[in-house]
Amino acid sequence: MSRINKSICALALAAAFSQAQAGEGSFGWIYTLDLQPKGTWEFEQKLQYNKGQAGGNYDFWQGRSAIEYGVNENLQLAGYLNTSYVNAYRNYPATTEFPSGETGGWGVAYPGDDKYSKWRVEGGSLEAIWRLSNPVIDPVGVGLYGEVTLGNMKDEFETRLMLQSNFLDDKLILAANIVGAIEKVKFVDGETGPESMIDILLGASYRVANNWTAGLEYRFHNDFYGYKFDTYTQRAHFIGPNVHYATKDWWVTGAWRYQLGGKCWAPNDGECSGGMVWDSHSKNEFIVKLGMPF
Amino acid sequence: MQWKPAATLMLVPVAALMAPALAHAKINVGVEEAQQRIFPGQKLTQNAVALTEAQRERMQELSSVREPFRGERVWRTANGDWFIVDEVVGKHEMVKYALGINADGTIKQIEIMAYVESYGYEVGEASWRNQFVGKSGNATLKLNKDIKNISGATLSCKHLTDGVKRLMVMHDLVLKGSK
Repeated sequence: MSRINKSICALALAAAFSQAQAGEGSFGWIYTLDLQPKGTWEFEQKLQYNKGQAGGNYDFWQGRSAIEYGVNENLQLAGYLNTSYVNAYRNYPATTEFPSGETGGWGVAYPGDDKYSKWRVEGGSLEAIWRLSNPVIDPVGVGLYGEVTLGNMKDEFETRLMLQSNFLDDKLILAANIVGAIEKVKFVDGETGPESMIDILLGASYRVANNWTAGLEYRFHNDFYGYKFDTYTQRAHFIGPNVHYATKDWWVTGAWRYQLGGKCWAPNDGECSGGMVWDSHSKNEFIVKLGMPF
Repeated sequence: MQWKPAATLMLVPVAALMAPALAHAKINVGVEEAQQRIFPGQKLTQNAVALTEAQRERMQELSSVREPFRGERVWRTANGDWFIVDEVVGKHEMVKYALGINADGTIKQIEIMAYVESYGYEVGEASWRNQFVGKSGNATLKLNKDIKNISGATLSCKHLTDGVKRLMVMHDLVLKGSK
């Protein structure tokens, strides 16, 4: 796999798995403006599972363990430990070199046609969220998000513009995130690849009963080669439902999103086939998050 | 598919073990107890009200509260004071509260009857509840203007404030002047 292909392959995936969650998260992947109150802490565990690419087997798990802290009414900080596990076997389309399919994708260090599996402690992240307006008392809640990730698979700086409006006694939440990120993807040979990403996340969530919300979220994902969004390499669309249960002592959120389709512009790659985008993405992506304030 | 137990998963049971020790309290006050807190020693008689659609619309218009009000939750003292129980949307569950209104139409007291949330138990403290005392139906009753917010309980504070406004509107529309 060429250097550029490795970079492109890693680009979308790195972005896809870089997502954390602010406060109590009623969405799977969209951040809302529900922050930790001043002086309070919360433990949060996230587990994402990406399953299925062009063929064969592809299972990618990512765990993120976080401690969040409310610095003041509108500023939240968080620290993360990031881990992952990949299990892949001929998950990319067949090529001349690998006629039975190629083993590749995010987390696979050496593309080939053998089975590959590995568990990693990837590294850590630091995150800050600054809420400029509160959707509970203002028509539109606005927040700014920044996250620095240092790891053995990538270093990344991610920013978000977070927007949220509440309706119907705050039972209905409409939320949007505009995400921009630059990433230095790291390869086993010591080389690095410059990547950048823009995502648009849209979602709605409704409180169907006390303690329960359910909704839908959509992702428009765009990858670029280079730190300055130099070359458009990939785009993909995802959509799926979410469900959230919360009590005073803990909360849990589950979400699933399905890849509607995508397109790649990278040459000589296995990242796209059948109108879908692979590398760090899959047909189906699942996430479970558990939060416990303390 | 394989999944090797990872450090990330091992943290889940650790957190689960932590949770009971870190569990927060909750507020749970019955109707009779709330009545005695607001009108100690007085006998209250249930005085259910049947609201018209126009009255409900007016109450929602002036308070923004959409949750339906249950008309059987109204009591009256021999002196003409009113005791009303209502519920508003909390962060996870409904927040139940009682409002005492003096015969002259001013707020005597508010009591939080049920509050089961992660944060914001200060809504049950007198320092927060006393902000409502003496307000009349003419008061705007807006959070961050007339009533101070509590960190971590913005949603509950807003809905409680709007809920009290709704009951004061109902008092002016329906209860005031009734025999």
